Amino acid sequence: MSDGQIVISGLSKRYRSVRAVDNLSLTVEPGRVTGFLGPNGAGKTTTLRMLLDLVTPTGGSATISGRRYADLTQPLRHVGAVLEASSAHRGRTGRNHLRVICAAAGFPPRRVDEMLHLVGLTPAGRRKFKGYSLGMRQRLGIAQAMLGDPKVLILDEPANGLDPEGIRWMRDLLTRLAEEGRTVLVSSHLLSEMQMLADDVVIIANGRLVTHGTVSTVVDGIAHPGTVRARTPDAEKLAAALDADATVTPGSDGALLVTGVDAPAVGAAALRAGVELHELVTERPDLERAFLELTSGKAGVR
Amino acid sequence: MSVSTAELDRARAGALGLIRSELLKIRTTNAWWWFALGMLGWTLIALAFNMWFAYFAFNDPGMLGPEAGGFTSPEYHASNIYTSGQFLGLMFVMLIGILMVTNEFFHQTATATFLTTPRRTVVIMSKLVTAVLIGMAFAVVITAIDLAAGAVFFHTQDLGTMLGEWPVQRAILLNLVAFGVWTIFGVAIGTLITNQLAATITAAVLYLVGTQLAQVAFFVLSAWLDSEAVLHWQVIVPSTASQVMTLGGEGIPGSPEWWVGALVLLGYAVVAGVVGTLITRKRDIS
Repeated sequence: MSDGQIVISGLSKRYRSVRAVDNLSLTVEPGRVTGFLGPNGAGKTTTLRMLLDLVTPTGGSATISGRRYADLTQPLRHVGAVLEASSAHRGRTGRNHLRVICAAAGFPPRRVDEMLHLVGLTPAGRRKFKGYSLGMRQRLGIAQAMLGDPKVLILDEPANGLDPEGIRWMRDLLTRLAEEGRTVLVSSHLLSEMQMLADDVVIIANGRLVTHGTVSTVVDGIAHPGTVRARTPDAEKLAAALDADATVTPGSDGALLVTGVDAPAVGAAALRAGVELHELVTERPDLERAFLELTSGKAGVR
Repeated sequence: MSVSTAELDRARAGALGLIRSELLKIRTTNAWWWFALGMLGWTLIALAFNMWFAYFAFNDPGMLGPEAGGFTSPEYHASNIYTSGQFLGLMFVMLIGILMVTNEFFHQTATATFLTTPRRTVVIMSKLVTAVLIGMAFAVVITAIDLAAGAVFFHTQDLGTMLGEWPVQRAILLNLVAFGVWTIFGVAIGTLITNQLAATITAAVLYLVGTQLAQVAFFVLSAWLDSEAVLHWQVIVPSTASQVMTLGGEGIPGSPEWWVGALVLLGYAVVAGVVGTLITRKRDIS
């Protein structure tokens, strides 16, 4: 059992008739950023909360470095978690919020100011939490998670409410932490952001595992290749020149969307027919497309 | 100098750290301030009333009607004056205890608290200990005010300070205990009803109105069964139990001994604490 590895096996949570998480098994490796994706209500938050012993599973187990969270000798030293942005007393200052946690964990009090500095919150440290923007709340959450300099970081929708600069800051921070050998597990809705940030992805829907692997394997795993976009002043002639395997649909912006053949075949057909081409691109499938195809029809209210 | 990883490795969450953390939670918000002001105001009102009552009992007992028998005893009045402010004071510390728990759910800090200390029994225990400390601290301040004002009053009545009498000393000490116990009730109620508004309103209404309603019910029951003994069972109502504990036996005819009230109160505190802890251990934090 390697240090910092997260192992979830057969994990289940039932609320009356709803299976929020259904026999979920996966591992998350240290030294990598793992994106945890799923439609609303897929069971992401419930899974993370079971991993942290905040919610009791109805079946299966979840361990971090081979132990249940509650059995870790120094939980905050080992695991840092950001579960929701609005989780401090509204009337307490951000700095005092961290002091409360430091005292309970037995960490030296000066760690508080170091972490405020790390997340760039020093000027707002003595202001009350109710005056914080969503972005500042996320930063305070990160500061809280980093108090114990943990080996494992678990973040639930950390990019929510961050501005573009904040998102970039978060991306750089998480990438650096993973490069230092830490385990970073991030749930998110922002698929383009995940494509840039994550090394591995886990996709769940309806509480069940849909797929699990590196970003490129998951994206390339979609059966059919990408669509070819072609722009030409003589659309009908080009369509007629393409061979029978090709399906041509007119795109909204006047371009043709061709599936069934690849870009070189479209180019060759255009040359043969003597049709002028203004644009010829293969639209590579991305994480968003993979996600939508893999989870289509599985989202929604249960 | 920045904190080294070795320092973090050495860090251990001890009982003292947890209690310090709980005290910090209270100190770093404004609510306790309002409760302190409320308690101070009420104590001054209660002192004035109790001294007025004692003054007439000593100087013009006829004012109190023909049944004033027990109410002329100086020990009774000393116990009463030196524990002035108990009635609403107990309610205020109970509300502080309730907030110690319900704030965690209202502001969603329960997540951070249980992530820091996943052993929930330990968290509740540290809240209970902190609650007792806070309840007692408030009681000490109130008692100091009562002692200063009361000593002056009894001097004017040529009764010395009355502080040499054991029943009076006992009342003062047990009053301190009562404040601790009522804060424990508060913590336990908070774990039973985590909705802040519901918990505070239920507890305050039960405390203020429930006591009188229970009294009426006991009188009706006693008349119906034609039995005076039934009235003694009033001590099972927690607020009556704490009054019996501090003032009982002295001056109130037919009241059970002080230790009966103490035992009843202790029993409630233990049951409430255990039930609250068990419920919190099972609860899903989401």
